[in-house]
Amino acid sequence: MVERLVTSARAARSELSKAEILELLSFSCNDEAFAVDLRAVHEIVIPPPITHVPRAAPAVLGVCSVRGQLATVVDLRRVLGLPAMDTERRARILLARTSETDLVGLRVDEVKQVVRLNVSQIEFTGQAFGNDGTEGVRGIGRPPGGEVIVLLDLIAVLTKGCG
Amino acid sequence: MTDQGREEFLNEAQDIIEAFARNLLAIDAAHKRGVSQPELINEAFREIHTLKGLSSLFGAKGLSSLTHRLEDLLDGLRLGRVEIAAPVLDVLFSAVDVGHQLLSQTATDDDPTLESKVKRVVDAISALTTTRREKEETSPNSIDPAILGVLTEYEEHRLRANMDAGMRLFRIRVQFDLMTIDTELSALKDSARQIGEVITYLPTGESTAPDILELDLILASSQQLSAVTSLLGGETAVVDEIPLGRTTSGPSRVSVSPLSMARSSVAVPSMKPLTGLSEMPHKSSRLTAQVNEQRLARRAVRVDIYKLDRLMNIVGELSILKSNLYTNAEAVRANHNRQLGGELHRLHRILERRLEDLQNGILEMRMVPLGQMFDRLARGVRQISRDLGKEVRLVVTGAETEIDKLIVEELGDPLLHMLRNAIDHGIESAPEREKARKSNAGTIALNAYQKGSHVLIEVEDDGRGVNEEKLIARAVATGVIDESMAAVLSREELLGLMFLPGLSTREDVSEVSGRGVGMDVVKTNIARLGGVIDVQSERGIGTKMTLTLPVTLAIFRALLVKVGEQEFAVPLSAISEVNLLDSGTREIEGREVTSLRGATLPLCRLRSFFGLTRERSQQREFVVVAQVGERRLGLVVDAIAGQQDIVIKSLGASLSLVRGFSGATELGDQRVGLVLDVAAILEEMLSPGDTLRKVVVNG
Repeated sequence: MVERLVTSARAARSELSKAEILELLSFSCNDEAFAVDLRAVHEIVIPPPITHVPRAAPAVLGVCSVRGQLATVVDLRRVLGLPAMDTERRARILLARTSETDLVGLRVDEVKQVVRLNVSQIEFTGQAFGNDGTEGVRGIGRPPGGEVIVLLDLIAVLTKGCG
Repeated sequence: MTDQGREEFLNEAQDIIEAFARNLLAIDAAHKRGVSQPELINEAFREIHTLKGLSSLFGAKGLSSLTHRLEDLLDGLRLGRVEIAAPVLDVLFSAVDVGHQLLSQTATDDDPTLESKVKRVVDAISALTTTRREKEETSPNSIDPAILGVLTEYEEHRLRANMDAGMRLFRIRVQFDLMTIDTELSALKDSARQIGEVITYLPTGESTAPDILELDLILASSQQLSAVTSLLGGETAVVDEIPLGRTTSGPSRVSVSPLSMARSSVAVPSMKPLTGLSEMPHKSSRLTAQVNEQRLARRAVRVDIYKLDRLMNIVGELSILKSNLYTNAEAVRANHNRQLGGELHRLHRILERRLEDLQNGILEMRMVPLGQMFDRLARGVRQISRDLGKEVRLVVTGAETEIDKLIVEELGDPLLHMLRNAIDHGIESAPEREKARKSNAGTIALNAYQKGSHVLIEVEDDGRGVNEEKLIARAVATGVIDESMAAVLSREELLGLMFLPGLSTREDVSEVSGRGVGMDVVKTNIARLGGVIDVQSERGIGTKMTLTLPVTLAIFRALLVKVGEQEFAVPLSAISEVNLLDSGTREIEGREVTSLRGATLPLCRLRSFFGLTRERSQQREFVVVAQVGERRLGLVVDAIAGQQDIVIKSLGASLSLVRGFSGATELGDQRVGLVLDVAAILEEMLSPGDTLRKVVVNG
């Protein structure tokens, strides 16, 4: 009887905390770990041929076609000002809709996995932290026993990258 | 009412109002020439009559009461009870405006401001119809009562009006085959109209064969019998002159007595299917004609243009598949089987032709004549010229020219602005015109025509022309240029100044033309459609503005060019020729130019223009001569990669600030090619602003 009560109390607690769990897609770029809210990702694709767009913002790699629809591709490395690295093989593009009609993708080195983090395991960036270089960074995630993950706001990063 | 029912009602009502407005313009123009147009007025009456029925059927209260009174007024006009005059036309035009507003507002039928607008027009109409003049009677003995007896009130009025004007009266007895009566009758009426007015036509009740119908046409004309006979007479048509009471000279060869019989009974046994004819003989033919017209209208469907866009996209994708098929066919022929390869090639060619047909079919659906928009503009011109108290004659040509529906929708505002400018700034006041020995009424020509894959629209006035000194003074005053720059500007560049924001050459800023915000907006809007504006102006003689626009935005043929490793698409419509860059280049005012058959051609090296750094050891270079309107620019590229029909896709909001590209297109194999925005590149390279910058840098 007592045991039953304890179990149900535990269940209730995990029910409660479910709402506070974020599902994140983790990936790497220049050997650093990043993650974005999984709900913001429309699709993950292997990079198709990308056409360079002269005069576009420096972080814009170019445009590509995803099943007949044009998508602008932004390089995370360039948005964050990281040095160039050769990581062609496992590169992926995380596609997101920045508006009803606009499809924009973020090129990353390698997609890792889906991580579930409780909000208590995330240090969200404060207002004072959110200026120029770090805009688009939502916080730092510390999964138990894992490496630190930089949590990004996908839409903000893409918007910033398009200049 | 279902949404679809309402939609159909709105569309149909809109069409009727458009047609009515078109008629009004024609009536207005005829009235200004001092000519009366009874047929147009009658037609306008019929349109409003139809609209009245339609709106009461759909319970559109405002429109119903408006058309009810309009019908009274038009009935008065066609029966000669109300005289046609400028104030009457004003009321009719204002009714058109209110009608348009009512149709856009039907959702909220009880909008109080609109209700008061309707009331104002209705009151104005009432005022006009109550002060009707008394109908003057032509002495009754001058018209044969046998004819009078069968005429409707309207026809009688027209008959009297014609007799008062001293016209002769003719009867044309003509036999029609029942199978072809519709077309033949309208053809006869058309030719009769050239020499007079058809008062009425009635079956005679006598026919020689069961499938023959004999009609009497009563025609009023100033011509002699011989002239009428030679034009309208023939094997089955006999022309006689009807003697009038006032003329007793001519030999009386006809008796019109059968006419009186016609109304009461027509005994034509073989015409059972057309029983309506025996009941209302004098109207049935007209009814069939009307029914036919309506049937034609019913066969048309309205389609959302975005559905056509989707079809066009599919055609684009099919074209890419088609080229893949071609590549495979080549491979089969080379490696395995010549026969199978040949067969695949044959299929490829058939597919290609069918795809072309499909593509042309979809394009045709997007095309609409400019006429409807021109009618709206003509109303605008009438309104503006009345507001400004200037007499303006608008001459329209090429209203049948067709252009992409999407372009038409974006053209109305810019064109209206240009016309407004022409009336306000171009056309002089009456005294000023008299001093310049010009006719009192200013003339504005609105011309449209197709030239290759472009449509050109000209707005030309016979006004005072652009005053360059004032333009320069204003540009200097607003700090756009300084005086040293003004001295080195070419005439073309000078005229280009009027498209810079904030420049208006009139000191007294009027309500109509605004404050010089306008021409720059016009230019931007036209550029967004892939078009350009050119200005020509002669002091004291007039100004002509020419819009050069693509026929369609949906799909076009493009030249693929290579710069370094990158391929770009250039719309073929913007290219006049392609040459090897062999004659040397030189620099003029910091701008690289070459010679093309003796003329100087400014060059734009796409490599440096787009900042493509990767240099390639390049032996040969090509010049793609881009031409939009009157301006030319040589685009220097490394290689020509071929031609392709392309469907353009927008680069989207994320790249909207990047200038020089109008979009991108798929080239096959998943590759994407950027489409050059030639108008924008020309603009950037050749605009006065650019010249000015160069002057500053060099000076």
